[in-house]
Amino acid sequence: MSTIRITGGTVYDPANGINGVVKDICIDGSRIVANVEGGRTIDATGTIVFPGGVDVHTHVAGGALNFARGLVPENQRAARKFLHGVNRRAGIGGMTPTTFATGYLYAGMGWTTVNEAAVPILSAKHTHEELHDTPIVDKSCLVLMANNEIVLDLIEAGEVERAQHVVAWLVWAAKVYGVKAVNPGGVAAWKWGKNASKLHESIAGYKTLTPAAIISSLAKIIEDLKLPHPLHLHCNNLGNPGNIATTIETMKVLEGRRAHLAHLQFHAYGGEDWPSMRSGAVEIADAFEKHPNLTTDAGAVLFGDAVTITADGPWQHMLHQLTGRKWGNLDVENETGCGIVPYVYRDRHTVNAVQWAVGLELLLLIKDPWRVYLTTDHPNGGCFWRYPEIIRLLMDKEFRKEQIKQLSENAQSRIVLGEIDREYTLFEIAIITSAGPARALGFSQKGQLGVGADADVTIYPAKATDDGMLFTYPRYVLKGGEIVVEEGEIRAVTEGKEFIFRPGYDEQIEEYIRPLFQKVYTMSFENYPVEIERVRGAEVITK
Amino acid sequence: MKNRADFIVYWGGNPAECHPRHFSKYTLTQKGKFVPEGRKGRTMVLVDIRETPSARAADIFLQIRPGKDFEVVTTLRALLKGQRVNEAIVAETGTTVAQLQDIVDRMKRAKFGVIFFGMGLSMTRGKHMNSGAILMLAAELNAFTKFVCMPMRGHGNVTGADVVLRWTTGYPFGINLSRGYPRFNPGEFSTVDLLVRGDNDAALILGADPGATMPQPGIDHLARIPTIVLDPKVTHTSRLARVHITTAVTGISAPGTAYRMDEIPLPLRPALKSPYPTDEEVLRRIRKAVAAKPAWEPAPYEGAGIS
Repeated sequence: MSTIRITGGTVYDPANGINGVVKDICIDGSRIVANVEGGRTIDATGTIVFPGGVDVHTHVAGGALNFARGLVPENQRAARKFLHGVNRRAGIGGMTPTTFATGYLYAGMGWTTVNEAAVPILSAKHTHEELHDTPIVDKSCLVLMANNEIVLDLIEAGEVERAQHVVAWLVWAAKVYGVKAVNPGGVAAWKWGKNASKLHESIAGYKTLTPAAIISSLAKIIEDLKLPHPLHLHCNNLGNPGNIATTIETMKVLEGRRAHLAHLQFHAYGGEDWPSMRSGAVEIADAFEKHPNLTTDAGAVLFGDAVTITADGPWQHMLHQLTGRKWGNLDVENETGCGIVPYVYRDRHTVNAVQWAVGLELLLLIKDPWRVYLTTDHPNGGCFWRYPEIIRLLMDKEFRKEQIKQLSENAQSRIVLGEIDREYTLFEIAIITSAGPARALGFSQKGQLGVGADADVTIYPAKATDDGMLFTYPRYVLKGGEIVVEEGEIRAVTEGKEFIFRPGYDEQIEEYIRPLFQKVYTMSFENYPVEIERVRGAEVITK
Repeated sequence: MKNRADFIVYWGGNPAECHPRHFSKYTLTQKGKFVPEGRKGRTMVLVDIRETPSARAADIFLQIRPGKDFEVVTTLRALLKGQRVNEAIVAETGTTVAQLQDIVDRMKRAKFGVIFFGMGLSMTRGKHMNSGAILMLAAELNAFTKFVCMPMRGHGNVTGADVVLRWTTGYPFGINLSRGYPRFNPGEFSTVDLLVRGDNDAALILGADPGATMPQPGIDHLARIPTIVLDPKVTHTSRLARVHITTAVTGISAPGTAYRMDEIPLPLRPALKSPYPTDEEVLRRIRKAVAAKPAWEPAPYEGAGIS
């Protein structure tokens, strides 16, 4: 590694309050420093300098995504191809890119850190293998917890303290960074073909346990364990008309505890049924503003092909019945499950048009960009490599209004997007794509360009390309001080790190879990935890 | 399955002999969280063309005529939807409408049903259409109750190979990298088709013994071309290969990962040491030697939309 000076570029570094200032960024090794002598100089005159992008919620690795790859070979055939080269592995882009292509695509767009949002403990070994095969970007991942029956039984019995030790043990067993809750109780109920869409009603298979109890208990446990990232919550009742009531009630149930509400777009629908479905973004944004304990990501939808993959099994069965398209379902013993349905969002389809608008409305209506981040819940709402399209829609109200005109009058009457005049500034884009998500994830060394930060820097041309996109082709991307992309070409393929958090817990808890595990699971207890040696590139954080 | 399945179908497979731990570890005899009675709390149906030792474990054995799997599955799907079926046509499958209606009724009454299908379904007349039909049957049953469906895979770590190829290339098998990027076309690029047509001019064989299972023209081709085999033991393939590199046995004297049929990875920890290198070591050394040669870039193929 060497020293690099980036000179002449207009720097946007919101974490350090720098809003469009022409200044030099100096790099020594893998860190940003105050000054360097000699070394390489990158002339960034006339460009925009951003901290490397951070994706707070994406699905790029693991059993569910890999199942999806197998389910849609026709998508792979139509997708962008990556030829193997001297330092580049062959691969396929598209909706469910192969691991190597995922690294090239994220880095090629200027994103340098990604958070894989759904890991079952039973197949965590697999997720880590895939993450290791995802080059260039740094990674973290979240373990699925809100349908883990050992945890659920403890919450039902009111043994929250013991549950806390179990959760901590499970986090370390899976070698993950944080905790995700998907449709709390609903995935467990799905093992009986049921769902849990009412927060205060007991869950199928349980006497008194409710989704609300799971949510509040887990949020407390995560806070008490001092995990860097708060509970990452996929609310109940995803995708259903009128689900704003559930989402707003969820905010109340959290009682001021920190949480990150994932892909809020899918939880912001008004109306009572499909014919009356409309945007609920105004209500959701209002409620969200009143809860400063919360952060969220958009989960925006773009028209075109997508593959929906979620641990929310019951919703996926419903989507399969709705669309008649292919459906894959996986139940992961007593922990979680997942469903996969390929999907096309059509602009002439009223429901899809509302979904498209709601994602943008939330990004525009929530005033504080530090609390709402750019995602498409890849590949659910659209592919991550289409983020530049969303950025354009956020920054250009005239373009946005033209797009709205393409929708049917019926769809236009159900949304508020046309009435919003806000345009994102470059400073705000740097927040929602990098500084904000880095802060929510607790990565103090990411999403900023201050002295001591990781030297993850993206240099974009200041002029949009012919198709109106500003962020598609960075001129340079530096990851950990190495130039990985230069003039739109992958130059170096580095290995990213994987961040893992080790919470504190009573070692005796293992003896509590062991007999319960042996009773219901089908593998030996010794094989359950991921051995740390198996996570290559691991960087363990403790507090 | 262990904790919930109260209705279990094995179709076109003989787990008692081919997956001997399946009944005792996962499906039949275990006491489950929601099936506390164990075997008594579960109903097992075996569908096959002959009475195998697995039939002894079954509550209901449905013997069907060879090559009639697709017709039987389709009749079950029709009955499930309440459609009328022709008794005479059903009789050609070796079953009766009453038998199949009974199975459909039991399926609908189940709390958690599961269908396992083996090569007796997926590799006989109808092939992938049979697999498609039985997967649809399971999907459609979810309109009534919870049902899942899973193939019973062959021996060895075939699931693991499937899984790794999917994340590295996007496809599970039948992959061609000759244009510098992965292409998938079973029937064209699958091993048996390449060998029988004689398309490949070298072969590197790992964890398989095609010399014992492939059609004769394929075996003849393997003997004709430079074939390299990595295997701990002498096999039909190693006998006809130009080079046989003896490797350590994964799981006994080499570490690794094996995937269960449900794609759950299990760590393999060696109990013994081996004087032989592992498959991975051999492949790494071959790769290093190849990398030392001048780089080979495939000629770009016009019109493929390559980046």
